[in-house]
Amino acid sequence: MIKCVIWDLDNTLLDGVFLESGDRPPPVSTALSEVLHDLAGRGILHAIASRNPPEAGVYTEQATGHRFAAVVCGWGAKSAAIDAITAEIGLTADEVAFVDDDALERAEVAFRLPEVLVLAPQDLREAAALPLLGAPASTEEARRRGELYLQRRARREEARAFGGSREDFLRHCGTRVTIAPASAADLPRLHELSVRTHQFNSTGSAVAEAEFAAMLRSADHQVAAVRLADRFGDDGLVGACVIATSPASWQVRLLMMSCRALGRGVIDALLAWICRAARAEGTDEIAVTCVISPRNVPLRIALTSAGFRTGKELEAGATRTAVYRRPTDDALPELPDWVTVPA
Amino acid sequence: MTRGSADLTGEIRLLLAEITGDRAAIEAPLGTPLLRDGIGLDSLGGTVLLTEIKRRYRIDIADEDLNLDSLASIGALASYVQARMAAPRSPQ
Repeated sequence: MIKCVIWDLDNTLLDGVFLESGDRPPPVSTALSEVLHDLAGRGILHAIASRNPPEAGVYTEQATGHRFAAVVCGWGAKSAAIDAITAEIGLTADEVAFVDDDALERAEVAFRLPEVLVLAPQDLREAAALPLLGAPASTEEARRRGELYLQRRARREEARAFGGSREDFLRHCGTRVTIAPASAADLPRLHELSVRTHQFNSTGSAVAEAEFAAMLRSADHQVAAVRLADRFGDDGLVGACVIATSPASWQVRLLMMSCRALGRGVIDALLAWICRAARAEGTDEIAVTCVISPRNVPLRIALTSAGFRTGKELEAGATRTAVYRRPTDDALPELPDWVTVPA
Repeated sequence: MTRGSADLTGEIRLLLAEITGDRAAIEAPLGTPLLRDGIGLDSLGGTVLLTEIKRRYRIDIADEDLNLDSLASIGALASYVQARMAAPRSPQ
């Protein structure tokens, strides 16, 4: 059971950035403040972990009318703030949830404190409907989502206790990654992934179902869907790529993966498959057009790790973009044996 | 205040050991790659590293070094941070 929710402030509990708002601090997010009071009514504590001066905490207590169980405002890592809060209140990491709009802060906490339930603000309302957060009734969707959180936690706890390499651990979990041509039944989920993925998304813009449908019909495009499962549970469709194929070059128009699949070898498997499939078709080069943003750093690390390199940024529009390329004639990344690919 | 490159390399080794949970990074040769088979950082571990470098040294590697060549090895990362601390970029 979650006993305490730890809140980020800027662009999370507050509708704006405290230090950038001059004399008038940003208002409290109405939607999230409602959830905060709901949860407090169920006996759940609240705390603040914010990269701000202490005044931000004082202001938020006044603005929400809620007395927080602990307030850590400072410039350290969020995981350190959470450690301090759990120590102060006397809770363990598996009894707290952490809400932050910044994907990298969430990644840092998920990485260092695997027991913490890490949520984006838009996921909090959904999570608040779970028994895990003291909700009484449970819909089928809420039950399924709750199970997913529990599976994730069980996997992380086992990972922490496991001695071998990451690859050994993925094998130990019975990880199965399946890459296959997407079908019409996948369209709603493909659209949803294009909206909801940020850390692993090469374009950062939503793609309508109709656009995916057109690419499924196109002879010059491949749309590959990636599914993930292991003995803890079935995560379903977690990623995809869209490739414009020509004999000379494969142009990857979109690469995306859900952060649900983070740390489970999926993005590396997808990139390895693209490289190997392109070579099997006799294509000399693969080019991935990728937005340069602080949000998709994990994807850019995966690209360079798979041997992709870029030259100068493209000079087009306000969005920073670069093309990452690699030839198919040198040593290609390995495709682990738990990955199933199209014949 | 200046900082010796040995201190900096030591700090980076400790940080890597902390992120990977494996003390091997403290003794590994300077040429050891950070990703994949070397220190074994995956994209998430690499992101945590870059976030921590930005927080500690105010150097945004992901923004400046698009090919992330500074992640090629322990030594490459230490040299990059050292060089950037010696010659800060002027704000644009």
